[in-house]
Amino acid sequence: PKVRALLKQNALTPSMKRRTDMLVKPATPLQEIRTRLHVSAVPKSLPCREEEFNNIYTFLESKLMDNSGGSIYINGVPGTGKTATVNEILKCLKRAVEKGKLDYFDFVEINGMKLSEPRQAYVQILKQLSGKVLTWEQAYNMLEKRFSSNAKRPMTLLLVDELDLLCTKRQDVIYNLLDWPTKASARLVVITIANTMDLPERVLMGRVTSRLGLTRVTFEPYNYKQLYEIVLTRLKNTDIFENEIIQLIARKVSAVSGDARRALDICRRVAEITETRNSTTVNVQDVNEALSEMIINPKVQAVKHCSKFEQIFLQAVCVEAKRIGVEEVCFKNVYRQFDSLCSFDGYKTPNITQTLDICSKLGDYRLLLCEYSGSDIHQKILLNISKDEMHYALQEVDVD
Amino acid sequence: LVLGSNRYQNARKSLHSSITEDLPGREEELTRLQKYLLEHLDQETSGSLYISGPPGTGKTACLFKIMQQSDVRSKFKVVYINCTSMKSATAIYAKIIQELCIPSSTKSRKNSKAVIEKYLTSKHKTLLLVLDEIDQLESRKQSVLYSIFEWPSIPDSKLILVGIANALDLTDRILPRLQARCELKPALMHFAPYSKQQISDIISARLNEANAVNIFTPSAIQFLAGKVAAISGDIRRALDISRRVIELAESHQVAQVLRPTNDNDTNIETSKKETIEKPVDLKEVVTVLNGVYGGTQNLNEEQDTFPLQQKLLICSLLLILNKGKNKDVTVGRLYEVYRKVCKKRNISAVDNSDFVNMCSLIETRGILRVVGKKEARLCKVNLQWDQEELDTALQDKQMMANIINDTKISRMY
Repeated sequence: PKVRALLKQNALTPSMKRRTDMLVKPATPLQEIRTRLHVSAVPKSLPCREEEFNNIYTFLESKLMDNSGGSIYINGVPGTGKTATVNEILKCLKRAVEKGKLDYFDFVEINGMKLSEPRQAYVQILKQLSGKVLTWEQAYNMLEKRFSSNAKRPMTLLLVDELDLLCTKRQDVIYNLLDWPTKASARLVVITIANTMDLPERVLMGRVTSRLGLTRVTFEPYNYKQLYEIVLTRLKNTDIFENEIIQLIARKVSAVSGDARRALDICRRVAEITETRNSTTVNVQDVNEALSEMIINPKVQAVKHCSKFEQIFLQAVCVEAKRIGVEEVCFKNVYRQFDSLCSFDGYKTPNITQTLDICSKLGDYRLLLCEYSGSDIHQKILLNISKDEMHYALQEVDVD
Repeated sequence: LVLGSNRYQNARKSLHSSITEDLPGREEELTRLQKYLLEHLDQETSGSLYISGPPGTGKTACLFKIMQQSDVRSKFKVVYINCTSMKSATAIYAKIIQELCIPSSTKSRKNSKAVIEKYLTSKHKTLLLVLDEIDQLESRKQSVLYSIFEWPSIPDSKLILVGIANALDLTDRILPRLQARCELKPALMHFAPYSKQQISDIISARLNEANAVNIFTPSAIQFLAGKVAAISGDIRRALDISRRVIELAESHQVAQVLRPTNDNDTNIETSKKETIEKPVDLKEVVTVLNGVYGGTQNLNEEQDTFPLQQKLLICSLLLILNKGKNKDVTVGRLYEVYRKVCKKRNISAVDNSDFVNMCSLIETRGILRVVGKKEARLCKVNLQWDQEELDTALQDKQMMANIINDTKISRMY
């Protein structure tokens, strides 16, 4: 109990257990490359985001210089460098403070994902501002008092990541977070980050949208040139990756999502594969292997490795769906098809209980979607893989 | 307002959207409010008032101004509560007690309501109770709202209750029982959206205050005000846009390129030169307004950033919607068509889980909506944009036309 009280007063800082051995430094060039390609290693400069950087930086700088409150909404699909850019801007602003060009400002960061409940946001904000841990109601009252008092305080920058998770039915948390900046005494700038472009119009209430304002920055997905440049800056001064190989990866990733994390992950996997080959330079086969590993379809493999009766059962579902023209089929009718398919192939048909067992097993693999776990002959079944994929998988078996 | 030497900065500061003292364009409402309060004060009667209006029409600002006035402060006991901060509807009682500084021994809610009612009937200055965002107090059977709106009719109570919300008909819709008794019915007051003239007046007044009137050309102000008034009449938006316009103009003036670098921070040296400050003209306003209200068309104007596979997905969806018999599209069905399209064009298709992921990526742009049951495969896909918008967004008319007119695939489904 005493320790807990100390923790609540922030008298003890949480620490992690240390390693007993020293960390090994990367020895080979490939290992070095792998650490550089890691997603967590944010580079010193962010290529291809100059315009957004400029935009947000000037906004924040002018707010800090004017001593006025406001809010900005930043959106874009995952892996387009939203959080990294904002962090970079904050670093620059802090450096400007050190140089005396800007006045000191408080910085608070919360992440919607890291809160067990939206209202915990108040607790986190207060904890970062004053180091106290209170219940959310007390924390809210403290914050309210702080932001509505006219006492001389430095500006506060509040970064809210994953804004969409703070949306509740009443939206009271978002409302309060965005209502504080509208008070002249608050001197608060709120930076909100989310994935959805039309979140304010789609989810938020009119009065919240009105307070969110119209200063919005959209991060577009990276195109292949930008992804190429990003990987290239990470691999500066090495010739392990050839240009064509990086281009291939960049093109593949930009065609699907434009997610920089994914491009870096694939590059890292390629480096790993090269390492297991005991080679020092990457070739195209490694890339292909890594790509097929990432894009591999596990369902086809699963169907290939099903038992004979399971495969026939899947076929029966497919045939029945084709017969009645609806995707959802009844087990009773599938069993009839199953029976005829089995006798066609010259097998003895399993009885209903065994077949139900097969069906529930396939449901557990998620190759089928069963209605509920209590299996009976009237249950509805649905194929969870596309017919083409299934035929592809089963044909291979027949050829063997 | 502290004025600096930089006119852009002054103008920007003056166009803030926080609560202010002077409210041009709301004189009529202010006098009506004042009259209402004074009448009730003179007659020593209670009354309730419900103020409605869309966001950003100055409801709260008006009441703040009234509450700041010295004669109101001396004659009334003023309590302002924003109901969004309540944990639940019933928590409002405890909050009121706290604001009234009534010493109460018990903490139970039943009691706290009785304590307030007792206070209302006891001797005191007339209470002006302002409840902002009152629709947050909705509860089952609306018991809290009913009991609050019944307070003014308690004999000997001296209370003026002011409720603020967005909905025009909140009291009629969720509190129908108030209609039955005339003395319970709150007086209604509506804040209409700002008109074009009012918005332009507000902006010019603000600029005047900052001594920077000629930073906007008159036609630019008129244009901006007309646009905002036509769409929402929300003054927060108007101020936001005008501030953005000035920020934009300023960044044009300061011809500098910031670079996100750590190595040499010479780049962040703000080399702002004191040049002649040109007034903001129509062109800048149009640029910002298009960015805000132009919506979907100009998203991808500069560069082609739509990933190829996502284009294929959207085209497949259009194919089903245009040519297919059954317009009910599930993710599973869309995936089958998409695979066919890919195969035909000799492009390797992504697998099922990636496909679902891609659907949600497109959803973030607002083009699709995936209406979820629990199985991803059974989710319905609804198109939110029309085809012309998509045409401009995808920027690949040839491919689109090729796919959409591919009747062979559509005939299979």
